[in-house]
Amino acid sequence: MTYIWKLLRRHISPAQLAGFFLANLFGMVIVLLSIQFYQDVAPLFTQGDSFLKKDYLIVSKQVSTLGSFVGKSGTFTEADIEEIEEQEFTQGVGAFMPSQFKVSAGLGMEQVGLKMSTDLFFESVPDAYVDVNSEQWYFDFEEPVVPIIIPRNYLNLYNFGFAQSRSLPQLSEGVMGLLNLEIRISGNGRSDVYKGNIVGFSDRLNTILVPETFMNWANTLYADADARKQPSRLIVEVDNPADDRIVRFLEEKGYEAENDKLDAGKTTWFLRVIVGIVLSVGLLISLLSFYILMLSVYLLLQKNTTKLENLLLIGYSPARVALPYQVLTILLNVGVWMLSVALVWWVRTWYLHTLESLSPGLPEGSCWLMLVVGFLLLVGVSVFNVLAIRRKVDAIWMHRG
Amino acid sequence: MNLITLQNTLPQVFADKNFIDSDVWHKDVEFEKGHFYLIEAASGTGKSSLCSYLYGYRDDYQGIICFDDANIRQLGIDQWVDIRKKSLSILFQDLRLFAELTAMENVLLKNSLTGFKKKKDIKDLFYELGIGDKMNVVVGKLSFGQQQRVALIRALCQPADFILLDEPVSHLDEVNARNMARILTEEASRQGAGIIVTSIGKHLELDYTKKMQL
Repeated sequence: MTYIWKLLRRHISPAQLAGFFLANLFGMVIVLLSIQFYQDVAPLFTQGDSFLKKDYLIVSKQVSTLGSFVGKSGTFTEADIEEIEEQEFTQGVGAFMPSQFKVSAGLGMEQVGLKMSTDLFFESVPDAYVDVNSEQWYFDFEEPVVPIIIPRNYLNLYNFGFAQSRSLPQLSEGVMGLLNLEIRISGNGRSDVYKGNIVGFSDRLNTILVPETFMNWANTLYADADARKQPSRLIVEVDNPADDRIVRFLEEKGYEAENDKLDAGKTTWFLRVIVGIVLSVGLLISLLSFYILMLSVYLLLQKNTTKLENLLLIGYSPARVALPYQVLTILLNVGVWMLSVALVWWVRTWYLHTLESLSPGLPEGSCWLMLVVGFLLLVGVSVFNVLAIRRKVDAIWMHRG
Repeated sequence: MNLITLQNTLPQVFADKNFIDSDVWHKDVEFEKGHFYLIEAASGTGKSSLCSYLYGYRDDYQGIICFDDANIRQLGIDQWVDIRKKSLSILFQDLRLFAELTAMENVLLKNSLTGFKKKKDIKDLFYELGIGDKMNVVVGKLSFGQQQRVALIRALCQPADFILLDEPVSHLDEVNARNMARILTEEASRQGAGIIVTSIGKHLELDYTKKMQL
């Protein structure tokens, strides 16, 4: 092997190989980084939903002036819910369950001498419809701490309206999570105080949300026995919100829909398009660099044709003669792969930091897809290299003499 | 491999000739293992072509060439590689040494493939052929006669049923030619190999079974 290598390494052009190495590194880094970036950033918009963002409608009955006067019920009956479930566009229906007891929450930050207290209400929906991923989103009967999700625009209202006009400090989402709320629940002749925590902010659900398990438990404990049990709002998961049958159905039934138009769908779509474009550019660069490598190796083989011929004539097999070139390309490819993974890693730690401050508690995207795609590229390119080199050497054998 | 047979073989370039006067071309010829053959040829009679057909790197001939019972046109790459490693050795007229490697490296390049000779035996051969001081000189700096001897050593670094030598002594003096003949005879008798020598003028002095005019 050493003698063959000594023979065949002549005419290897370091400049050409460096060119390939850099170009391939560029392409590979772009491809892998765009994949990894998508993996990391997509949850920011989809909040942990699967790749395809689901669409939701929040449906309520119209509140009419007349209805208010005559006390017409604005709640959905079992039959109403069943009817919606039967519609073709419906993927699932979740009911907003309102609290049937009195709630007041106190907020205190002794350090800044701030103390607020206000009457509230709670609502709950099945967990599957909650658009906030939080490990704290559960209720433990043994150690009752009430996790609460509030609409993100409540925070904005406070920060940009209330706090500024009263010269109060603005609160970030992270700080809000640290606040300890005092939740006082009363009804059915009882009154208790619980601890509460804001565990997330929802763009989809415009209400003060508690876990359904807590709501069921609290309703049985504090609600009057004859209290209404029917939901006044429904969250409907639909396959395609642009379906015109939805609009017709809602009009016919006299329902109102508050679409989850937070534009996350559009943003994700744009993100996907941009990542797609970047990915294609990366792949194109990889392809071109691969072309450079093949040209370079072909040129090398061409320059060494006589030597290769002679090696074949003294009894070396084409496989043996092709081996040094194959090893060379595989080493280069592995080097490119390792370096690009390292580079992606490095860039990732840098942007993850920014991402973390933008949205604390965001689940970290997995690196597996990036590693697997990188590895597949490596294997694919190497296999192609190996076969192409072998074919070229075989061609030298065929044109013997 | 015990037998090489040529049946009506003729280089394609000679196909339009009116008359062929040869002991080899257009004849049935047999080369048997263990025997020594001399093929004398005038320039341009297809001497190197014959070697290239037998060694499998050209096939522009008519007729049939067989190793034992196998038509060599049917041999695949793997079989040829095997034959060149284990049963057919050649000393090319143009030597086909690697100019940038030293004489020893050229020989070891072959020997590392076959593992046939010990390094000490190879060194002895260098001394016997009078180029013991040239072992570590790059081949490009050796004279053609010295290179011929290096190529011979390389050709001996493999097991062989037949050894083909294409004008092996064209640039050797009498003493070295005799040395080469002695070494070849020893090697051939040790392995029971056959030797086929082509010659255009100066002959390698061996105990030939048959001399033919090409």
